[in-house]
Amino acid sequence: MSAVKTDAIDLGRRRFVISGSVLAGGLLLGIRAQRGEAAAGPWAPGTTQGSELSAWIAIDADDSVILRVPTPEIGNGAMTQVAMNVTEELACAWNNVKVEFCSINRDYREDSVYNRGFLPFFGGHGTDKVRMDYALQLGASARERLRSAAAQHWGVPLEEVTAADSVLTHAPSSRTLRYGDVAAAAAKITLAQEPTPKPQSEWTFLGKASPAKLHIPQVVTGAAVYGIDVQVPGMLHAALRQSPVHGGKLKSHQPEAVLKMPGVKAVVVVDPAKTVGTTLEQKSTWGFSTNPVQSGVAVIAEHYWQAKKALDALPVEWEPGAGRSWESSEAIYAAAHESRGSAGEKILRESGDVDSVTGGEVVEHDYFTPYAENAMIEPLSGTALVTAERAEVWCPTQDMIQAYWVTIDETGLAPEQVDMHQTYVGGRFGRSTQADDVRMVVAVAKEFPGVPVKTIWSREECFAQGRYRTPIETHFKAVLGDDGYPQAVTSHACFVGTHPLFQLSLGYDDIPYFHSGSIPNVRISRANFPVNVMNGAYRGPCYNSHAFLVETFIDDCAVAAGIDPLEYRLQLLAKWDKAWSDCLRVAADKAGWGRKLPRGEGMGIAISSWPAAAAHDTGTTLCTVARVAVTPDGVLTVKQVDVAFDCGRVANRDAVRAQVEGGTLFGMNTTLNEELTIAGGVTAEHNYDNYPMLRMGDSLPPVNVHFEALSGHERFDIIGEAPVGPIGPAIGNAIYQATGKRVRSTPFRKHDLSWT
Amino acid sequence: MAAVKFRVNGEQRELDADPSTPLLWALRDHLGLTGTKYGCGIAQCGACTVHLGGAATRSCIIPLSAVEGMDVVTIEGLSEHGDHVLQTLWYELNVPQCGYCQSGMLMAAADLLRRKPEPTDADIDAAITNLCRCGTYPRVRAAIHRAAKQMRGGESA
Repeated sequence: MSAVKTDAIDLGRRRFVISGSVLAGGLLLGIRAQRGEAAAGPWAPGTTQGSELSAWIAIDADDSVILRVPTPEIGNGAMTQVAMNVTEELACAWNNVKVEFCSINRDYREDSVYNRGFLPFFGGHGTDKVRMDYALQLGASARERLRSAAAQHWGVPLEEVTAADSVLTHAPSSRTLRYGDVAAAAAKITLAQEPTPKPQSEWTFLGKASPAKLHIPQVVTGAAVYGIDVQVPGMLHAALRQSPVHGGKLKSHQPEAVLKMPGVKAVVVVDPAKTVGTTLEQKSTWGFSTNPVQSGVAVIAEHYWQAKKALDALPVEWEPGAGRSWESSEAIYAAAHESRGSAGEKILRESGDVDSVTGGEVVEHDYFTPYAENAMIEPLSGTALVTAERAEVWCPTQDMIQAYWVTIDETGLAPEQVDMHQTYVGGRFGRSTQADDVRMVVAVAKEFPGVPVKTIWSREECFAQGRYRTPIETHFKAVLGDDGYPQAVTSHACFVGTHPLFQLSLGYDDIPYFHSGSIPNVRISRANFPVNVMNGAYRGPCYNSHAFLVETFIDDCAVAAGIDPLEYRLQLLAKWDKAWSDCLRVAADKAGWGRKLPRGEGMGIAISSWPAAAAHDTGTTLCTVARVAVTPDGVLTVKQVDVAFDCGRVANRDAVRAQVEGGTLFGMNTTLNEELTIAGGVTAEHNYDNYPMLRMGDSLPPVNVHFEALSGHERFDIIGEAPVGPIGPAIGNAIYQATGKRVRSTPFRKHDLSWT
Repeated sequence: MAAVKFRVNGEQRELDADPSTPLLWALRDHLGLTGTKYGCGIAQCGACTVHLGGAATRSCIIPLSAVEGMDVVTIEGLSEHGDHVLQTLWYELNVPQCGYCQSGMLMAAADLLRRKPEPTDADIDAAITNLCRCGTYPRVRAAIHRAAKQMRGGESA
């Protein structure tokens, strides 16, 4: 029915790789989408190709260095970072570097050859110590073999051959060879002894250069293949609807009502009972408890629009189950509130005897953060081809190990029968860590075996079927001593959710206020409130809430004590790592802390640390100072934000700056705008028209990123999550200074900030 | 149904499809031009922005039947060699993070620069209403201002 020619493509032959060559004089885009042709993806082949110096490194005769990495590009530059790590020791020209996603199937067949470090196929730890050291070693080993091959070629001693910028030089005879000239020979060389990578002090690239992300040339021409962009010859499209009440079941539907609509091929039912299963759950990153198939129905058609139209016309009835009884999110939160202090409560941290402290000034309040949706701009999607003998999946997962084993579990196929292709990942912020999305894609496709099926969640389906931010309600109580500092702190928190995996205490009891000895009597507790509305990973899971809850409470204490909030925090953190104090001082100093502000303006400060605040020199500690203005009728403007942080060291300064900028705006959006509500058991918000998000016209503040608080400790720690936390309480604390009004829950847009 | 004839990136196309199909899906599913992104389907997020008849337009709410005889330019056709000043600066200033919304950002920004070669911040606020979840807004703004400067022959990168 289409007059347009179809461009069948050979996915293997027309592989796209991304290149650093754009760095050379202007923008020379090596690759761009051809008109009317489908672009293939950024995934590597599953077999040995070219002159491989390892499964990670192939060098072509034209000098191209192809690096195959396990880290997906989710927006933080993890893919580029791993390529940088290899490049430092390989001594190749960055312009020659191309990077691909490694093959998980090859990883399985070749004894976990890509599986190194913490969460090796997750995009959040590109500079993880083990993984970074491994990449450096790979680069060094490959370089030494290239040198050896050149020395053999010339018949000269190895010591006389140097390697730099993809060129091998024999200075005594003024001869040179390119890496591409000797790559094939080098690939056959086995070193008698592995080289030792150079000390950091001799690095010339890491920590020095700030290359842009390698996939940007493809992004700006539309050639980058995200999950939703995958095109496979013969592919069909599916539109999906799951029980609007989480945990509900399909009661009935009438496929005959839509089967004759144009392009419709089938109406299929997905059901958790159809999951075949595997005994190898322990091989997956996160297990299977967070990702069972949800009961649903999908229409499969030639084109997505046909599938969507037919799905909209499909009569469906649901058996909503117990979740229907939640009339509102307020009802959920009220029930959670009631459960606080119940028998199921667990004491996370206790010192001294909080009950022994009496008589001082009491600061006691409730603090709360609600549901929020990840709301990444790329909707969930994926493509799968399932037969009785094999499965092939193309997906924008955040963790390919998880996606792989979930696919094996869903199909019951053997690991060697399953092949996966990592696409670029549009945002996600945790939503695609558990592979419930991949499982659904596979569950739909296996109902239409032998044909590749791309399943797309509409935006409405994404909102309805999120794995939302875990709501947290906390009651803090402090008894202040004569000096204004807490003699005792007691807290009860309630974490709301289906999945305990995302009922986390990170940023709660582990904050040094509560364990460094500054507060002599502490009891920090938590309880879980189970509910059918599913929770999951939302950028810096739970930390993003705790930072607000804890730092608003500490500010309440400072105000009650009549002590400057910066001084208050410095005193409470005096017994802990200097990095925390440094972050506070640098951010405050840069922001001009303490200067007189006009009426209606205020400055607020907050600090936290992800993901291990209780451990010395671990993770990223980050302090944010916000300056706000509030008009008498309550219109809030965030005028300026200053951020100081310690992640140890920095491998790519601009990449870190970008993460701090973006994470700060993400957290600002969370705090000012985001709240997902439940009504009649289902999600009330369905699209961006009733889920406000920051836009450029929203008077966004400059986000000044300061590097002066870096401790220089020998780690290059994860940076994407930390900035999301302190911005919210910094704004809230600034609002208090500006107006005298304390906001103890988010989103701020629901608070009346007017003042006289 | 009659086939719809229109031009895409300078090329004459003829598409015999459901006339209610949004231009977005016609481009993506029928013509294989996947650089134009689906984000919301209700003209809220701007990821699907193309130039329709020369103006930045959200293609998710434009039915195929409405583009008969019109010119459509997608991100794939923004420049011949991927070297539009904005594309170049997007790389130099490391603007995108995940990159998914950036096709729409670029198409909106290119339209703005064509209409207003020296846009003010207020012009940018009014024209670039696209959503970016990663928070690239400060760099988008900086790149547009830099592009304006380059276009009037000032500072080059």
